Amino acid sequence: MTAYVRAAARAFEMSMKLRAVNPFTNFGWLVFPLIFVILGLALLGGGGRTAYAILGGGLLGYWGMAYVEGANEIQNERWSGTLEQIMGCPTPLAVIVVGKLCSSLLFGALSFLPAIAVGYFAFHQSLQNIDPGPFAVSFLVLTFAFFCMAVTLAPLYAMWRWAFSVTNGFEIGVYVLGGFMFPISHLPSWLQLVASGFAPTWAVRSLYAATGQPFGHDYALWWAVSIALSCAYLVIGWFLYRMVDVRARATGQLALA
Amino acid sequence: MGISAIQGDQLRKTYTTTRGLIRRKRKDHVALRGVDLDIERGELFGLLGPNGAGKTTIVKIFTTLLLPSSGVARILGLDVVKEAWAIRKRIGFVFGGDRGLYWRLSGLDNLRYFADLYQIPPEVSRRRIGELLETLDLKGREHDKVEGYSRGMKQRLHLARGLLNQPEVLFLDEPTIGLDPVGGRELRGLVRRLANEGTTVFLTTHYMLEADEICDRIAVIKKGEIVAQGTPSSIKTGAEDQGVVEFEIEGLPAQRIEALRQLPAVTTVIVEDRELAQVITIHCSRPGELAASLGSLLDGMQVRNVSVREPTLEDAYVLLVSG
Repeated sequence: MTAYVRAAARAFEMSMKLRAVNPFTNFGWLVFPLIFVILGLALLGGGGRTAYAILGGGLLGYWGMAYVEGANEIQNERWSGTLEQIMGCPTPLAVIVVGKLCSSLLFGALSFLPAIAVGYFAFHQSLQNIDPGPFAVSFLVLTFAFFCMAVTLAPLYAMWRWAFSVTNGFEIGVYVLGGFMFPISHLPSWLQLVASGFAPTWAVRSLYAATGQPFGHDYALWWAVSIALSCAYLVIGWFLYRMVDVRARATGQLALA
Repeated sequence: MGISAIQGDQLRKTYTTTRGLIRRKRKDHVALRGVDLDIERGELFGLLGPNGAGKTTIVKIFTTLLLPSSGVARILGLDVVKEAWAIRKRIGFVFGGDRGLYWRLSGLDNLRYFADLYQIPPEVSRRRIGELLETLDLKGREHDKVEGYSRGMKQRLHLARGLLNQPEVLFLDEPTIGLDPVGGRELRGLVRRLANEGTTVFLTTHYMLEADEICDRIAVIKKGEIVAQGTPSSIKTGAEDQGVVEFEIEGLPAQRIEALRQLPAVTTVIVEDRELAQVITIHCSRPGELAASLGSLLDGMQVRNVSVREPTLEDAYVLLVSG
Protein backbone atom coordinates (compact mmCIF):
# COMPACT_ATOMS: atom_id res chain seq x y z
CA MET A 1 0.00 0.00 0.00
CA THR A 2 2.86 2.40 0.83
CA ALA A 3 4.33 1.72 -2.59
CA TYR A 4 1.00 2.61 -4.21
CA VAL A 5 0.77 5.86 -2.23
CA ARG A 6 4.30 6.74 -3.26
CA ALA A 7 3.50 5.96 -6.92
CA ALA A 8 0.33 8.10 -6.80
CA ALA A 9 2.26 10.94 -5.16
CA ARG A 10 4.93 10.77 -7.85
CA ALA A 11 2.25 10.71 -10.57
CA PHE A 12 0.77 13.82 -8.94
CA GLU A 13 4.20 15.50 -8.93
CA MET A 14 4.87 14.58 -12.58
CA SER A 15 1.47 15.84 -13.63
CA MET A 16 2.00 19.16 -11.82
CA LYS A 17 5.40 19.61 -13.47
CA LEU A 18 3.98 18.80 -16.91
CA ARG A 19 1.16 21.29 -16.40
CA ALA A 20 3.61 23.95 -15.29
CA VAL A 21 5.49 23.71 -18.61
CA ASN A 22 2.35 23.51 -20.74
CA PRO A 23 0.84 26.94 -21.45
CA PHE A 24 -2.41 25.34 -22.65
CA THR A 25 -3.16 24.41 -19.04
CA ASN A 26 -3.90 28.08 -18.37
CA PHE A 27 -6.83 27.91 -20.78
CA GLY A 28 -8.51 25.37 -18.56
CA TRP A 29 -8.34 27.08 -15.20
CA LEU A 30 -8.05 30.74 -16.21
CA VAL A 31 -9.18 31.69 -19.71
CA PHE A 32 -12.33 29.59 -20.16
CA PRO A 33 -13.74 30.38 -16.68
CA LEU A 34 -13.08 34.09 -17.30
CA ILE A 35 -14.95 33.96 -20.60
CA PHE A 36 -17.89 32.14 -19.04
CA VAL A 37 -18.09 34.49 -16.06
CA ILE A 38 -17.89 37.62 -18.20
CA LEU A 39 -20.55 36.30 -20.58
CA GLY A 40 -22.68 35.11 -17.70
CA LEU A 41 -22.59 38.41 -15.82
CA ALA A 42 -23.11 40.43 -18.98
CA LEU A 43 -26.06 38.32 -20.13
CA LEU A 44 -27.65 37.20 -16.87
CA GLY A 45 -27.22 40.45 -14.99
CA GLY A 46 -27.46 40.65 -11.19
CA GLY A 47 -29.88 39.54 -8.58
CA GLY A 48 -30.23 35.86 -7.89
CA ARG A 49 -28.45 34.96 -11.08
CA THR A 50 -25.11 36.44 -10.00
CA ALA A 51 -24.27 33.23 -8.17
CA TYR A 52 -24.84 31.21 -11.34
CA ALA A 53 -22.58 33.46 -13.36
CA ILE A 54 -19.72 33.52 -10.87
CA LEU A 55 -19.95 30.04 -9.38
CA GLY A 56 -20.94 28.65 -12.76
CA GLY A 57 -17.75 29.92 -14.37
CA GLY A 58 -15.70 28.40 -11.59
CA LEU A 59 -17.61 25.10 -11.89
CA LEU A 60 -17.07 24.98 -15.64
CA GLY A 61 -13.33 25.39 -15.15
CA TYR A 62 -13.30 22.88 -12.29
CA TRP A 63 -15.13 20.18 -14.22
CA GLY A 64 -13.21 20.96 -17.39
CA MET A 65 -9.89 20.50 -15.65
CA ALA A 66 -11.00 17.38 -13.78
CA TYR A 67 -12.50 15.66 -16.79
CA VAL A 68 -10.88 17.02 -19.94
CA GLU A 69 -7.44 17.38 -18.46
CA GLY A 70 -7.87 14.01 -16.78
CA ALA A 71 -8.81 12.43 -20.11
CA ASN A 72 -6.02 14.37 -21.75
CA GLU A 73 -3.54 12.81 -19.36
CA ILE A 74 -4.20 9.36 -20.78
CA GLN A 75 -4.34 10.65 -24.34
CA ASN A 76 -1.06 12.53 -23.81
CA GLU A 77 0.48 9.31 -22.57
CA ARG A 78 -0.58 7.74 -25.89
CA TRP A 79 0.82 10.58 -27.96
CA SER A 80 4.15 10.61 -26.16
CA GLY A 81 4.43 6.82 -26.34
CA THR A 82 4.50 6.37 -22.57
CA LEU A 83 1.16 4.59 -22.23
CA GLU A 84 2.81 1.25 -22.90
CA GLN A 85 5.51 2.00 -20.34
CA ILE A 86 3.01 2.72 -17.58
CA MET A 87 0.68 -0.15 -18.52
CA GLY A 88 3.68 -2.49 -18.44
CA CYS A 89 4.81 -1.53 -14.95
CA PRO A 90 3.65 -3.33 -11.78
CA THR A 91 1.62 -0.35 -10.50
CA PRO A 92 -2.04 -0.47 -11.50
CA LEU A 93 -3.27 2.20 -13.91
CA ALA A 94 -5.88 3.29 -11.35
CA VAL A 95 -3.15 4.35 -8.89
CA ILE A 96 -1.44 6.44 -11.56
CA VAL A 97 -4.75 8.00 -12.62
CA VAL A 98 -5.59 8.92 -9.01
CA GLY A 99 -2.32 10.81 -8.68
CA LYS A 100 -2.80 12.61 -11.98
CA LEU A 101 -6.43 13.48 -11.22
CA CYS A 102 -5.48 15.04 -7.89
CA SER A 103 -3.28 17.38 -9.91
CA SER A 104 -6.17 18.14 -12.31
CA LEU A 105 -8.51 18.86 -9.42
CA LEU A 106 -6.01 21.15 -7.72
CA PHE A 107 -5.62 23.21 -10.89
CA GLY A 108 -9.35 23.05 -11.47
CA ALA A 109 -10.12 24.47 -8.04
CA LEU A 110 -8.05 27.50 -9.02
CA SER A 111 -10.82 28.34 -11.54
CA PHE A 112 -12.88 29.91 -8.79
CA LEU A 113 -10.23 32.55 -8.14
CA PRO A 114 -10.43 34.35 -11.51
CA ALA A 115 -14.20 33.83 -11.53
CA ILE A 116 -14.67 35.56 -8.18
CA ALA A 117 -12.04 38.20 -8.96
CA VAL A 118 -13.50 39.28 -12.30
CA GLY A 119 -17.00 39.28 -10.83
CA TYR A 120 -15.89 41.60 -8.04
CA PHE A 121 -13.43 43.89 -9.78
CA ALA A 122 -15.00 44.09 -13.24
CA PHE A 123 -18.71 43.83 -12.47
CA HIS A 124 -18.81 44.77 -8.76
CA GLN A 125 -20.73 41.58 -8.11
CA SER A 126 -19.91 39.01 -5.47
CA LEU A 127 -21.37 35.93 -3.87
CA GLN A 128 -23.65 37.09 -1.10
CA ASN A 129 -25.44 35.20 1.66
CA ILE A 130 -23.03 32.30 1.75
CA ASP A 131 -23.65 29.80 4.52
CA PRO A 132 -20.03 28.75 5.06
CA GLY A 133 -20.50 25.35 6.72
CA PRO A 134 -22.83 23.82 4.11
CA PHE A 135 -20.89 25.59 1.34
CA ALA A 136 -17.60 24.00 2.42
CA VAL A 137 -19.09 20.52 2.82
CA SER A 138 -20.91 20.84 -0.52
CA PHE A 139 -17.65 21.81 -2.18
CA LEU A 140 -15.94 18.73 -0.74
CA VAL A 141 -18.83 16.49 -1.84
CA LEU A 142 -18.64 18.04 -5.31
CA THR A 143 -14.89 17.44 -5.44
CA PHE A 144 -15.46 13.80 -4.52
CA ALA A 145 -18.12 13.53 -7.25
CA PHE A 146 -15.82 15.01 -9.91
CA PHE A 147 -13.00 12.77 -8.76
CA CYS A 148 -15.11 9.62 -8.94
CA MET A 149 -16.53 10.44 -12.36
CA ALA A 150 -13.13 11.28 -13.83
CA VAL A 151 -11.45 8.21 -12.29
CA THR A 152 -14.22 6.02 -13.73
CA LEU A 153 -14.03 7.51 -17.22
CA ALA A 154 -10.21 7.53 -17.48
CA PRO A 155 -9.75 3.84 -18.37
CA LEU A 156 -11.91 4.28 -21.45
CA TYR A 157 -9.14 6.42 -22.92
CA ALA A 158 -6.62 3.65 -22.36
CA MET A 159 -8.98 1.08 -23.84
CA TRP A 160 -10.27 2.88 -26.94
CA ARG A 161 -8.40 5.34 -29.12
CA TRP A 162 -11.64 7.02 -30.25
CA ALA A 163 -12.77 7.84 -26.69
CA PHE A 164 -10.95 11.15 -26.85
CA SER A 165 -13.06 12.30 -29.80
CA VAL A 166 -16.22 12.38 -27.64
CA THR A 167 -14.57 14.27 -24.76
CA ASN A 168 -15.98 17.71 -25.51
CA GLY A 169 -19.50 16.49 -26.06
CA PHE A 170 -19.60 14.74 -22.72
CA GLU A 171 -17.99 17.68 -20.95
CA ILE A 172 -20.65 20.11 -22.17
CA GLY A 173 -23.40 17.62 -21.43
CA VAL A 174 -22.38 17.57 -17.78
CA TYR A 175 -22.35 21.40 -17.68
CA VAL A 176 -26.04 21.32 -18.63
CA LEU A 177 -27.17 18.26 -16.68
CA GLY A 178 -25.20 19.30 -13.61
CA GLY A 179 -27.01 22.63 -13.35
CA PHE A 180 -23.69 24.51 -13.43
CA MET A 181 -24.97 27.74 -14.99
CA PHE A 182 -28.73 27.40 -14.57
CA PRO A 183 -31.04 25.26 -12.45
CA ILE A 184 -31.98 21.95 -14.02
CA SER A 185 -35.63 22.86 -13.37
CA HIS A 186 -35.35 24.75 -16.69
CA LEU A 187 -34.75 21.44 -18.48
CA PRO A 188 -37.52 19.14 -19.78
CA SER A 189 -38.70 16.66 -17.16
CA TRP A 190 -37.14 13.67 -18.91
CA LEU A 191 -33.75 15.41 -18.91
CA GLN A 192 -34.16 16.28 -15.24
CA LEU A 193 -34.55 12.56 -14.63
CA VAL A 194 -31.31 11.92 -16.49
CA ALA A 195 -29.63 14.72 -14.57
CA SER A 196 -30.65 13.15 -11.26
CA GLY A 197 -28.38 10.22 -12.09
CA PHE A 198 -25.30 12.45 -12.02
CA ALA A 199 -23.51 12.79 -8.69
CA PRO A 200 -22.34 16.38 -9.42
CA THR A 201 -25.95 17.52 -9.97
CA TRP A 202 -26.83 16.94 -6.31
CA ALA A 203 -23.62 18.47 -5.00
CA VAL A 204 -24.08 21.55 -7.22
CA ARG A 205 -27.64 21.94 -5.96
CA SER A 206 -26.41 21.94 -2.35
CA LEU A 207 -23.62 24.39 -3.29
CA TYR A 208 -26.11 26.87 -4.77
CA ALA A 209 -28.49 26.34 -1.86
CA ALA A 210 -25.64 27.44 0.43
CA THR A 211 -25.44 30.73 -1.53
CA GLY A 212 -29.08 31.53 -0.81
CA GLN A 213 -30.75 30.01 -3.90
CA PRO A 214 -34.38 28.96 -3.26
CA PHE A 215 -33.81 25.18 -3.26
CA GLY A 216 -34.61 24.44 0.33
CA HIS A 217 -32.08 23.01 2.76
CA ASP A 218 -32.11 19.22 2.30
CA TYR A 219 -28.34 19.18 2.50
CA ALA A 220 -28.10 15.77 4.15
CA LEU A 221 -30.21 14.16 1.42
CA TRP A 222 -28.35 15.85 -1.43
CA TRP A 223 -24.93 15.01 0.02
CA ALA A 224 -25.98 11.41 0.66
CA VAL A 225 -27.29 10.93 -2.90
CA SER A 226 -24.21 12.53 -4.42
CA ILE A 227 -21.83 10.40 -2.32
CA ALA A 228 -23.82 7.23 -3.04
CA LEU A 229 -23.79 7.88 -6.78
CA SER A 230 -20.07 8.68 -6.63
CA CYS A 231 -19.40 5.38 -4.88
CA ALA A 232 -21.49 3.61 -7.53
CA TYR A 233 -19.23 5.15 -10.19
CA LEU A 234 -16.20 3.81 -8.34
CA VAL A 235 -17.69 0.31 -8.42
CA ILE A 236 -18.21 0.66 -12.18
CA GLY A 237 -14.68 2.01 -12.44
CA TRP A 238 -13.31 -1.01 -10.62
CA PHE A 239 -14.75 -3.26 -13.32
CA LEU A 240 -13.53 -0.94 -16.08
CA TYR A 241 -9.96 -0.98 -14.77
CA ARG A 242 -10.01 -4.77 -14.70
CA MET A 243 -11.35 -4.76 -18.21
CA VAL A 244 -8.84 -2.26 -19.57
CA ASP A 245 -5.88 -4.40 -18.61
CA VAL A 246 -7.26 -7.28 -20.66
CA ARG A 247 -8.89 -5.41 -23.54
CA ALA A 248 -6.05 -2.97 -24.25
CA ARG A 249 -3.64 -5.90 -24.29
CA ALA A 250 -5.90 -7.96 -26.52
CA THR A 251 -6.25 -5.31 -29.22
CA GLY A 252 -2.64 -4.14 -29.11
CA GLN A 253 -3.63 -0.48 -29.38
CA LEU A 254 -1.57 0.85 -26.48
CA ALA A 255 1.19 2.04 -28.77
CA LEU A 256 -1.16 3.67 -31.26
CA ALA A 257 -1.65 7.43 -31.00
CA MET B 1 17.56 -28.21 -15.31
CA GLY B 2 15.87 -25.13 -13.93
CA ILE B 3 12.91 -23.13 -15.18
CA SER B 4 13.57 -21.38 -18.48
CA ALA B 5 13.73 -17.61 -18.43
CA ILE B 6 11.55 -17.20 -21.51
CA GLN B 7 9.31 -19.83 -23.00
CA GLY B 8 6.93 -19.64 -25.93
CA ASP B 9 4.85 -22.63 -26.95
CA GLN B 10 2.94 -22.42 -30.23
CA LEU B 11 2.37 -18.71 -29.87
CA ARG B 12 -0.11 -17.25 -32.30
CA LYS B 13 -1.36 -13.70 -32.67
CA THR B 14 -3.99 -12.42 -35.04
CA TYR B 15 -4.81 -8.73 -35.30
CA THR B 16 -8.32 -7.85 -36.40
CA THR B 17 -9.14 -4.60 -38.17
CA THR B 18 -12.40 -3.38 -39.62
CA ARG B 19 -12.96 -1.35 -42.76
CA GLY B 20 -15.92 0.49 -44.17
CA LEU B 21 -18.38 2.95 -42.66
CA ILE B 22 -21.79 1.26 -42.88
CA ARG B 23 -21.07 -2.31 -43.93
CA ARG B 24 -18.01 -3.02 -41.88
CA LYS B 25 -15.71 -5.72 -43.14
CA ARG B 26 -13.46 -7.55 -40.79
CA LYS B 27 -9.93 -8.31 -41.82
CA ASP B 28 -7.58 -10.58 -39.91
CA HIS B 29 -3.83 -10.22 -40.07
CA VAL B 30 -1.87 -13.18 -38.73
CA ALA B 31 1.28 -11.82 -37.09
CA LEU B 32 2.51 -15.00 -35.39
CA ARG B 33 1.94 -18.52 -36.69
CA GLY B 34 2.93 -20.90 -33.94
CA VAL B 35 6.24 -19.66 -32.48
CA ASP B 36 8.23 -21.91 -30.17
CA LEU B 37 11.07 -20.44 -28.13
CA ASP B 38 12.96 -21.65 -25.08
CA ILE B 39 15.59 -19.34 -23.62
CA GLU B 40 17.69 -20.27 -20.62
CA ARG B 41 18.50 -17.95 -17.75
CA GLY B 42 21.54 -15.78 -18.39
CA GLU B 43 21.34 -16.19 -22.16
CA LEU B 44 21.67 -13.32 -24.57
CA PHE B 45 19.19 -14.23 -27.26
CA GLY B 46 18.74 -12.37 -30.53
CA LEU B 47 15.66 -12.34 -32.74
CA LEU B 48 16.25 -11.26 -36.32
CA GLY B 49 13.71 -10.65 -39.00
CA PRO B 50 12.57 -8.18 -41.64
CA ASN B 51 10.06 -5.43 -40.90
CA GLY B 52 6.64 -6.87 -40.17
CA ALA B 53 7.95 -10.36 -39.42
CA GLY B 54 6.55 -10.39 -35.88
CA LYS B 55 9.53 -9.42 -33.70
CA THR B 56 7.83 -6.60 -31.81
CA THR B 57 4.67 -8.69 -31.45
CA ILE B 58 6.67 -11.42 -29.71
CA VAL B 59 8.38 -8.90 -27.44
CA LYS B 60 5.07 -7.32 -26.47
CA ILE B 61 3.57 -10.70 -25.65
CA PHE B 62 6.52 -11.59 -23.44
CA THR B 63 6.42 -8.19 -21.71
CA THR B 64 2.68 -8.66 -20.96
CA LEU B 65 1.63 -5.75 -23.18
CA LEU B 66 -0.14 -7.97 -25.67
CA LEU B 67 -2.20 -11.11 -25.23
CA PRO B 68 -1.51 -14.04 -27.54
CA SER B 69 -4.45 -15.32 -29.56
CA SER B 70 -3.42 -18.84 -28.62
CA GLY B 71 -0.44 -20.69 -27.23
CA VAL B 72 1.41 -20.24 -23.99
CA ALA B 73 4.11 -17.75 -23.06
CA ARG B 74 5.98 -17.94 -19.78
CA ILE B 75 8.55 -15.69 -18.19
CA LEU B 76 10.50 -17.26 -15.32
CA GLY B 77 7.81 -19.94 -15.20
CA LEU B 78 4.97 -17.39 -14.87
CA ASP B 79 2.16 -17.25 -17.41
CA VAL B 80 2.01 -13.88 -19.23
CA VAL B 81 -1.80 -13.98 -19.35
CA LYS B 82 -2.64 -15.10 -15.82
CA GLU B 83 0.36 -13.84 -13.85
CA ALA B 84 1.19 -10.57 -15.62
CA TRP B 85 1.50 -8.52 -12.43
CA ALA B 86 4.11 -10.85 -10.95
CA ILE B 87 6.08 -10.83 -14.20
CA ARG B 88 6.11 -7.04 -14.49
CA LYS B 89 8.07 -6.69 -11.25
CA ARG B 90 10.83 -8.94 -12.52
CA ILE B 91 11.35 -7.78 -16.10
CA GLY B 92 12.44 -4.65 -17.86
CA PHE B 93 11.77 -3.60 -21.41
CA VAL B 94 13.25 -0.98 -23.68
CA PHE B 95 11.52 -0.05 -26.90
CA GLY B 96 13.71 2.95 -27.60
CA GLY B 97 13.18 5.70 -30.10
CA ASP B 98 12.07 9.28 -29.58
CA ARG B 99 8.81 8.31 -27.90
CA GLY B 100 8.38 6.67 -24.52
CA LEU B 101 9.89 9.45 -22.39
CA TYR B 102 8.49 12.63 -20.86
CA TRP B 103 10.56 14.92 -23.02
CA ARG B 104 9.48 18.13 -21.31
CA LEU B 105 10.87 16.93 -18.01
CA SER B 106 14.40 16.09 -16.95
CA GLY B 107 16.06 12.72 -17.22
CA LEU B 108 16.11 12.54 -13.43
CA ASP B 109 12.37 13.22 -13.20
CA ASN B 110 11.73 10.43 -15.69
CA LEU B 111 13.84 7.96 -13.74
CA ARG B 112 12.37 8.88 -10.36
CA TYR B 113 8.86 8.48 -11.74
CA PHE B 114 9.44 5.02 -13.14
CA ALA B 115 11.37 4.00 -10.04
CA ASP B 116 8.22 4.68 -8.02
CA LEU B 117 6.00 2.98 -10.59
CA TYR B 118 8.22 -0.09 -10.24
CA GLN B 119 7.75 0.20 -6.45
CA ILE B 120 11.47 0.50 -5.73
CA PRO B 121 12.03 1.76 -2.16
CA PRO B 122 13.27 5.38 -2.08
CA GLU B 123 16.70 4.66 -0.60
CA VAL B 124 17.30 1.92 -3.16
CA SER B 125 16.08 4.02 -6.09
CA ARG B 126 18.33 6.95 -5.13
CA ARG B 127 21.38 4.72 -5.17
CA ARG B 128 20.28 2.84 -8.26
CA ILE B 129 19.57 6.00 -10.26
CA GLY B 130 23.01 7.34 -9.33
CA GLU B 131 24.67 4.12 -10.48
CA LEU B 132 22.79 4.04 -13.76
CA LEU B 133 23.53 7.68 -14.55
CA GLU B 134 27.20 6.94 -14.00
CA THR B 135 27.26 3.68 -15.95
CA LEU B 136 25.31 5.04 -18.89
CA ASP B 137 27.27 8.30 -19.07
CA LEU B 138 24.33 10.54 -18.29
CA LYS B 139 25.78 12.05 -15.14
CA GLY B 140 25.84 15.83 -15.32
CA ARG B 141 22.91 15.94 -17.75
CA GLU B 142 20.26 14.40 -15.50
CA HIS B 143 18.70 17.77 -14.66
CA ASP B 144 18.39 18.78 -18.31
CA LYS B 145 15.13 18.30 -20.18
CA VAL B 146 15.00 15.16 -22.28
CA GLU B 147 14.01 17.21 -25.35
CA GLY B 148 17.57 18.55 -25.35
CA TYR B 149 19.21 15.11 -25.30
CA SER B 150 20.92 13.62 -28.32
CA ARG B 151 19.54 10.43 -29.87
CA GLY B 152 22.18 8.39 -28.10
CA MET B 153 21.43 9.97 -24.74
CA LYS B 154 17.72 9.29 -25.13
CA GLN B 155 18.49 5.67 -25.93
CA ARG B 156 20.70 5.42 -22.84
CA LEU B 157 17.96 7.00 -20.74
CA HIS B 158 15.54 4.38 -22.10
CA LEU B 159 17.99 1.71 -21.05
CA ALA B 160 18.41 3.29 -17.61
CA ARG B 161 14.64 3.21 -17.20
CA GLY B 162 14.54 -0.43 -18.23
CA LEU B 163 17.25 -1.36 -15.71
CA LEU B 164 15.88 0.52 -12.68
CA ASN B 165 14.33 -2.56 -11.08
CA GLN B 166 17.41 -4.75 -11.78
CA PRO B 167 15.32 -7.05 -13.96
CA GLU B 168 16.01 -10.75 -14.19
CA VAL B 169 14.89 -10.63 -17.83
CA LEU B 170 15.47 -7.63 -20.06
CA PHE B 171 13.76 -7.12 -23.41
CA LEU B 172 15.40 -4.80 -25.93
CA ASP B 173 13.53 -3.99 -29.12
CA GLU B 174 16.07 -2.72 -31.65
CA PRO B 175 18.08 -0.86 -29.04
CA THR B 176 20.81 0.48 -31.33
CA ILE B 177 18.60 1.77 -34.10
CA GLY B 178 19.54 5.30 -35.01
CA LEU B 179 22.75 5.26 -32.97
CA ASP B 180 26.09 6.12 -34.47
CA PRO B 181 28.69 3.29 -34.68
CA VAL B 182 30.43 4.37 -31.48
CA GLY B 183 27.18 4.61 -29.56
CA GLY B 184 26.03 1.29 -30.95
CA ARG B 185 29.26 -0.43 -29.94
CA GLU B 186 29.08 0.99 -26.42
CA LEU B 187 25.51 -0.17 -26.04
CA ARG B 188 26.35 -3.64 -27.30
CA GLY B 189 29.21 -3.82 -24.83
CA LEU B 190 26.89 -2.87 -22.00
CA VAL B 191 24.29 -5.43 -23.04
CA ARG B 192 26.93 -8.15 -23.18
CA ARG B 193 28.13 -7.19 -19.68
CA LEU B 194 24.56 -7.42 -18.37
CA ALA B 195 24.23 -10.92 -19.77
CA ASN B 196 27.60 -11.91 -18.32
CA GLU B 197 26.35 -10.75 -14.92
CA GLY B 198 23.36 -13.10 -15.16
CA THR B 199 20.58 -11.02 -16.71
CA THR B 200 18.68 -12.84 -19.43
CA VAL B 201 18.54 -10.54 -22.43
CA PHE B 202 16.12 -10.89 -25.32
CA LEU B 203 17.13 -8.62 -28.16
CA THR B 204 15.48 -7.88 -31.49
CA THR B 205 17.59 -6.35 -34.18
CA HIS B 206 18.04 -5.74 -37.88
CA TYR B 207 21.80 -5.60 -37.60
CA MET B 208 23.57 -8.86 -38.32
CA LEU B 209 26.82 -7.57 -36.86
CA GLU B 210 25.05 -6.97 -33.58
CA ALA B 211 23.56 -10.45 -33.44
CA ASP B 212 26.77 -12.11 -34.57
CA GLU B 213 28.90 -10.15 -32.13
CA ILE B 214 27.04 -10.48 -28.86
CA CYS B 215 24.29 -13.10 -29.00
CA ASP B 216 24.67 -16.58 -27.56
CA ARG B 217 21.86 -17.83 -29.75
CA ILE B 218 19.67 -16.27 -32.37
CA ALA B 219 16.43 -17.04 -34.14
CA VAL B 220 15.32 -15.80 -37.52
CA ILE B 221 11.64 -15.00 -37.95
CA LYS B 222 9.90 -14.59 -41.25
CA LYS B 223 6.17 -13.86 -41.69
CA GLY B 224 5.36 -14.93 -38.15
CA GLU B 225 7.31 -18.18 -38.18
CA ILE B 226 10.73 -19.09 -36.81
CA VAL B 227 12.69 -20.32 -39.82
CA ALA B 228 16.02 -20.95 -38.07
CA GLN B 229 17.30 -21.08 -34.52
CA GLY B 230 20.72 -21.72 -33.07
CA THR B 231 24.11 -20.20 -32.44
CA PRO B 232 25.37 -17.65 -34.98
CA SER B 233 27.87 -20.27 -36.21
CA SER B 234 25.20 -22.89 -36.77
CA ILE B 235 23.03 -20.41 -38.66
CA LYS B 236 25.99 -19.53 -40.88
CA THR B 237 26.63 -23.23 -41.43
CA GLY B 238 23.23 -23.37 -43.07
CA ALA B 239 24.67 -21.18 -45.77
CA GLU B 240 27.99 -23.04 -45.87
CA ASP B 241 27.59 -24.53 -49.30
CA GLN B 242 26.52 -21.16 -50.58
CA GLY B 243 28.74 -18.38 -51.73
CA VAL B 244 28.24 -14.82 -52.73
CA VAL B 245 29.18 -13.25 -56.04
CA GLU B 246 29.09 -9.48 -56.20
CA PHE B 247 29.75 -7.20 -59.16
CA GLU B 248 28.97 -3.75 -60.53
CA ILE B 249 27.20 -3.14 -63.80
CA GLU B 250 25.39 -0.31 -65.53
CA GLY B 251 21.82 -0.59 -66.74
CA LEU B 252 21.23 -4.33 -66.35
CA PRO B 253 17.81 -4.94 -67.96
CA ALA B 254 15.06 -6.66 -66.00
CA GLN B 255 15.04 -9.65 -68.40
CA ARG B 256 18.72 -10.34 -67.73
CA ILE B 257 18.15 -10.10 -63.96
CA GLU B 258 15.32 -12.60 -64.31
CA ALA B 259 17.53 -14.86 -66.41
CA LEU B 260 20.14 -14.82 -63.63
CA ARG B 261 17.48 -15.77 -61.11
CA GLN B 262 16.46 -18.77 -63.24
CA LEU B 263 19.94 -20.29 -63.19
CA PRO B 264 19.88 -23.60 -61.28
CA ALA B 265 22.74 -22.74 -58.89
CA VAL B 266 21.34 -19.33 -57.98
CA THR B 267 19.35 -18.88 -54.78
CA THR B 268 18.75 -15.13 -54.72
CA VAL B 269 19.69 -12.09 -56.77
CA ILE B 270 19.71 -8.73 -55.04
CA VAL B 271 19.95 -5.55 -57.11
CA GLU B 272 21.05 -2.34 -55.42
CA ASP B 273 20.79 0.84 -57.45
CA ARG B 274 23.55 3.29 -56.69
CA GLU B 275 24.31 6.61 -58.30
CA LEU B 276 26.61 5.48 -61.07
CA ALA B 277 25.94 1.76 -61.32
CA GLN B 278 23.98 -1.19 -60.01
CA VAL B 279 25.53 -3.55 -57.48
CA ILE B 280 24.35 -7.11 -58.04
CA THR B 281 24.69 -9.63 -55.19
CA ILE B 282 24.04 -13.26 -56.10
CA HIS B 283 23.75 -16.00 -53.49
CA CYS B 284 24.51 -19.28 -55.16
CA SER B 285 26.21 -22.62 -54.88
CA ARG B 286 29.48 -22.97 -56.82
CA PRO B 287 30.16 -19.21 -56.80
CA GLY B 288 33.49 -19.62 -58.52
CA GLU B 289 31.87 -21.17 -61.59
CA LEU B 290 29.24 -18.48 -61.74
CA ALA B 291 31.83 -15.71 -61.46
CA ALA B 292 33.83 -17.26 -64.31
CA SER B 293 30.77 -17.44 -66.57
CA LEU B 294 29.55 -13.89 -65.97
CA GLY B 295 31.22 -12.68 -69.16
CA SER B 296 29.18 -15.03 -71.32
CA LEU B 297 26.01 -14.67 -69.29
CA LEU B 298 26.10 -10.88 -69.54
CA ASP B 299 27.48 -10.69 -73.06
CA GLY B 300 27.87 -7.12 -74.33
CA MET B 301 27.69 -5.49 -70.92
CA GLN B 302 30.54 -4.05 -68.92
CA VAL B 303 30.97 -5.95 -65.65
CA ARG B 304 33.28 -4.47 -63.01
CA ASN B 305 34.67 -5.33 -59.57
CA VAL B 306 33.62 -8.95 -59.53
CA SER B 307 34.22 -10.55 -56.12
CA VAL B 308 33.54 -13.94 -54.61
CA ARG B 309 33.27 -14.32 -50.85
CA GLU B 310 32.23 -16.68 -48.09
CA PRO B 311 28.73 -16.24 -46.70
CA THR B 312 28.34 -14.09 -43.61
CA LEU B 313 25.53 -14.24 -41.08
CA GLU B 314 23.84 -11.55 -43.11
CA ASP B 315 23.96 -13.78 -46.19
CA ALA B 316 22.52 -16.66 -44.20
CA TYR B 317 19.80 -14.34 -42.97
CA VAL B 318 19.03 -13.11 -46.50
CA LEU B 319 18.74 -16.72 -47.65
CA LEU B 320 16.39 -17.55 -44.81
CA VAL B 321 14.05 -14.60 -45.19
CA SER B 322 13.96 -14.31 -48.94
CA GLY B 323 13.94 -17.97 -49.90
